[in-house]
Amino acid sequence: MTCVIGIDLGSTTTKAVILDGNGDVLGRGITNSRSNYDLAAAVAKTEAFINARFGLIEQQVQATETAEAVYLLRRAFVMEQLLHQLRRLEHLLLEEVDKSAPRHLVAPFREAIEEICRRITVEEETRFRAPPVLRSDFFRDAVGSAFMRIAEQIGDPAGVSFDRLIGVYDKCIIRVENEPMDLDFRDHIGDALSRVSNPRLADAVEFAVAYDLTPAATVGTGYGRARLPFPKEQIRSEILCHGLGAHAMFPGTRTVLDIGGQDTKAIQVDAEGIVTGFQMNDRCAAGCGRYLGYIADEMNLGLHELGPLAELSKRAVKINSTCTVFAGAELRERLSLGEKREDILAGLHRAIVIRAMSLLARSGGVDNEFTFTGGVAKNPAAVRAIRELVHENYGERTLNISPESIYTGALGAALFANRMVA
Amino acid sequence: MINTAGIDVGSGAVKVTVFRTDGAGEETLLGQVSTRIRRREIAKVVDETFDAAAEAAGVDEIHYIGTTGEGGEVPFATGHFYGMTTHARGALYLTPGIGAVLDVGALHTRAVAMDSHGRVKDYKMTSQCASGSGQFLENIARYLGVSHDEIGQLSMQSTKPEKVSSICAVLAETDVINMVSRGITTSDILRGVHESMAERFVRLLRSLSFDGAVFVSGGLASDTGMLAALRDTLDKKKDVARMEVVTHESAIFAGSIGAALWGAYRYRKLSQRGVAWTAASKVA
Repeated sequence: MTCVIGIDLGSTTTKAVILDGNGDVLGRGITNSRSNYDLAAAVAKTEAFINARFGLIEQQVQATETAEAVYLLRRAFVMEQLLHQLRRLEHLLLEEVDKSAPRHLVAPFREAIEEICRRITVEEETRFRAPPVLRSDFFRDAVGSAFMRIAEQIGDPAGVSFDRLIGVYDKCIIRVENEPMDLDFRDHIGDALSRVSNPRLADAVEFAVAYDLTPAATVGTGYGRARLPFPKEQIRSEILCHGLGAHAMFPGTRTVLDIGGQDTKAIQVDAEGIVTGFQMNDRCAAGCGRYLGYIADEMNLGLHELGPLAELSKRAVKINSTCTVFAGAELRERLSLGEKREDILAGLHRAIVIRAMSLLARSGGVDNEFTFTGGVAKNPAAVRAIRELVHENYGERTLNISPESIYTGALGAALFANRMVA
Repeated sequence: MINTAGIDVGSGAVKVTVFRTDGAGEETLLGQVSTRIRRREIAKVVDETFDAAAEAAGVDEIHYIGTTGEGGEVPFATGHFYGMTTHARGALYLTPGIGAVLDVGALHTRAVAMDSHGRVKDYKMTSQCASGSGQFLENIARYLGVSHDEIGQLSMQSTKPEKVSSICAVLAETDVINMVSRGITTSDILRGVHESMAERFVRLLRSLSFDGAVFVSGGLASDTGMLAALRDTLDKKKDVARMEVVTHESAIFAGSIGAALWGAYRYRKLSQRGVAWTAASKVA
């Protein structure tokens, strides 16, 4: 079957959406953008194809198996990918230790690295058997926090210190991320299948592996679009893609707010999804998703944990700093003064939404229906703040949020690709 | 004879210095320890660093514990001193005869003009935005996979410095990604960052008037690449009198040294009795 692909190369994450000939979504993939854009685009595309093939498995076994069985297979697959990357990371770490550590520390250093990687592997295997918990799927996030935590436990200030461990980790994690790796469906589905030991899925897996998915056209968009290895006619601006993507998801959309990694866009569209006006923020992280990403890093939390934590707040703190880095320092200072994490976080969420509101006002206000997209739309605390502030300023508005809203730009790009084929 | 300690709580690291001052006013540095915070709980890092410094100094009691920087909340401290005064005093201790201190920390950069006794005459600080701060440089180094102590050397190997145009410290990271994907070397990126920082520092320094050399203190004083960029940038400004830039291997401790020395001064002035800390318990 032929398909089309849309790729949204964002500053934080790269998204890919695959559509069939009818414009229906076959698969979606996401990865963290890194210093190598080509690679990020390739990985997102691989993930989207994996997602599409899991969709095929699901269709095949619909009559005989539950959705949970496929979901378990999916989790096993993700874990195989992660363990594969972890083995590579361990290899690079040991290599780096041999190369750069002081002679007398090499042996204990190697031991520490092996111990950390062993513990992470055990944690992952245990996690797989336990009920699923929400967390970032990106290797860097999943392994990074575990590595930090274990390094702090076993780090020895006199010898292989926490600082040394983190030092080599910082070096090697980038290398792992930036080398092409075998993470495709075919590479790990076999191991995943034997891990779940469910022979009833075998035929469907075989079907999905063999299924032909040939891309007929690809369109790219996003912050890094100029760096995609595409001819110019296969590139569209983010504004156009977000407008069209939001229109496709919610045809009644007139105003779109997209809070992405490093820019925030307020877009007005007409009944056809054509952009009639827009505003973007200046080159400052305050008011974008990166702001929350930075805060999450500061707190050693995953980005997805921020919103739920802020939701626990009863009294949002007013944040005085505008600058993201200063807000991070203010956060630490407030924490050391004993203020509650959730109250500070609620204040930080409100701060970025207030900046987005001024952008909306300048773009022409909030018309019905109002669609909120971008990575930040996944964050419940940001959504609550938006809801409150839109209601205060513009009255009753329908607020559309799709769980897949992070893919809005990629969806718009894929729709443009579809037009090229049709 | 009294023992005093200075605790300098920065945004990036905690520094502690212990001094002995005898009756004749002779100051002896007994020990100093610095610990990077790295997102750990500040109170814990302060405790750890203080204990390590007391042990390194080999003292069982300390008469005055002075804090500076963001150390105003340290529960076992005797008193707190402003960063400008401690950095001036500490820098003058390390290098007599200087006229100003440029304290380059993780978040703020301060230029302080002083008289020959280390008293503050005037100062200027960077604005409430982290553009061009130490944290900014650290973020970028992290992204490039360069460890803290490799930054200087790499920067000095640069042949074609890349201009870092972005204003925002956080979004500059994405500029760096762009640069890497355009094939620009780590050295040229780091030197570009150093030059943009140096421009800001020179603006601060030019707004003050002082006689003597500029002493660079704070966490970035050990960054040889930053110092080289600062010297080169100053040399290029034809309209200002030549400024000499100096530093010291203990420059990162300048604030804590100043806090310990001012602590000794205040202790004597107030003719306090007793000790603030003994090895058995932190609070007297």
